[in-house]
Amino acid sequence: MAIAASLLKKLVQIPIFQGLTVPEASEFFELATELTAAKGKDLFVEGGAGDALLVILEGDVTITKRGIELAKLGKHSVLGEMSLVGSGEARSATATTLSEVVYLEVPAKRVQKLLKADHLGALKVFANLAQVLSKRLALINDKFVDSKGKKREELADFGKILNRWSF
Amino acid sequence: MTSAEAAAHYFTKAARIMDVGERIETLLATPVREVKVQVSIELDNGEIRTFEGFRVQHDNSRGPMKGGLRYHPSVNNDEILGLASLMTWKTAIVNLPFGGAKGGVRVDPTQLSVKELERLTRKFIDQIHDLIGPTQDIPGPDMNTNPQVMAWVMDQYSRYHGHSPAVVTGKPIELYGSRGRETATARGLLYICREILRDVSLPMKGTRFAIQGFGNVGSHTARLFHEDGGLIVAVCDVHGGVQNPRGLDVPALFEHVKKTGSVRGFGGGNACTSEDVIAADCDVLVPAAIGGTIDRRAAASVRARIVLEGANGPSTPEADEEFEKRDVLVVPDILANAGGVTVSYFEWVQNMQHVSWEEERINNELQRVMKEAYEKVGQISRSRRLPLRTSAYVLAIGRVGKATVLRGI
Repeated sequence: MAIAASLLKKLVQIPIFQGLTVPEASEFFELATELTAAKGKDLFVEGGAGDALLVILEGDVTITKRGIELAKLGKHSVLGEMSLVGSGEARSATATTLSEVVYLEVPAKRVQKLLKADHLGALKVFANLAQVLSKRLALINDKFVDSKGKKREELADFGKILNRWSF
Repeated sequence: MTSAEAAAHYFTKAARIMDVGERIETLLATPVREVKVQVSIELDNGEIRTFEGFRVQHDNSRGPMKGGLRYHPSVNNDEILGLASLMTWKTAIVNLPFGGAKGGVRVDPTQLSVKELERLTRKFIDQIHDLIGPTQDIPGPDMNTNPQVMAWVMDQYSRYHGHSPAVVTGKPIELYGSRGRETATARGLLYICREILRDVSLPMKGTRFAIQGFGNVGSHTARLFHEDGGLIVAVCDVHGGVQNPRGLDVPALFEHVKKTGSVRGFGGGNACTSEDVIAADCDVLVPAAIGGTIDRRAAASVRARIVLEGANGPSTPEADEEFEKRDVLVVPDILANAGGVTVSYFEWVQNMQHVSWEEERINNELQRVMKEAYEKVGQISRSRRLPLRTSAYVLAIGRVGKATVLRGI
């Protein structure tokens, strides 16, 4: 599918596509399909096969894992980027539309094929992806430490209460 | 409200006063493990019967879990859970290195022969032997279970794990049981009573006691308190009661009970009801029957200035409020009747060390434990201006809490 240059210019603003020239982006999105999903539809389900990268063009999506909402994503957000890294790895979360959503679907196989051919655009996307994922990992690490710290604090607070009551 | 529910109510009250927070409250209230098992046996007539067995292990932060095993048609998981937590608090108050547990089988044991009871007990142990043990969870006697049942428990457990007398307490004296076990609860009441009478400047000699219930706890209480100089002015059991304001002749009363099986009809006093005993003109009321017998109305009729709770949960929370309002000093069950589990602990200690203590040593150690617990609870009560019951729960939460914090979760 040929993507309009005006849209390509917007897409290359998105962090994981940053640094791509318009011709590189055009090649990258060559096999992408533009789709529309009604409100309340699952774009993908946790545990399902991860075989495509999704870029939201219009509308909002909620990401949940075991019923817990992880994030709400809107226009120009990218979903399923982890599918590019693994080979058909299972989806780690569920994406459900909160409104009618228009999105681009890029088959992971297409991206991997570009990579094998040393396509500069695909390499740039991967370099960006590494950055996005590493930032996310840092965030998760912080959250993990936070939650650990909180638990210790809660027990410590209890210890302080017990000391105040001096048994 | 069952006694287990009442215990949960008092626990929550104390936890809120201490302001431990919702999540710590949940951490302390939630049991470590709840188990429900099928206990199928063949009756003497060849029929197959299936019963439900339960074991709830509430908390092990202070040591192996300890708690009775009851056989009763009303046994259910919620009740067992409540009673298991009660054991956690009780063992903590008397500072035993134990946590709390409870178990039971939903069965009417009066409908079973001795052989059937033995099969039931052994089958139940077959189902839970991996979960109990001298350093893990130590059952003991409770409602409708006795030293014989405990002997079966020990034997059946030992078939799997080798000779293990310390797996269960309340065993017969001839089979690693402890001296003083039968009178332990009553003796614990006596030691606590001596302390409290000293606090209110009453001598034991001549102090008037009314005792509601004449089972193991009530009867031994009557005898020990009488021997210590107390006047037993009223007693009752399920069949009826007898009172004498000048004091009953306790040895003669025992003879009467031996002959007739009840205190009813004893000639040394006037016949009375259980309500009369609760409302008797006395200094100390000792409820030693089943739980929940003193409600708000009964509490309002109490003339004693001290209530020494020998039974588990004899006063409802409403009765407790009434006592507080009227300045009646209540020595709560969780402290007052902890003599039983304390001597169970002594039995376990003797079994673990392969020794046997003389009764004098048991009694001395028991007195020390009860005295220390009473002093500690009294200290909290005075410094924080809290009733003894709330103070006892505060002490329990404090001790279990400290162990939990030190060990980490």
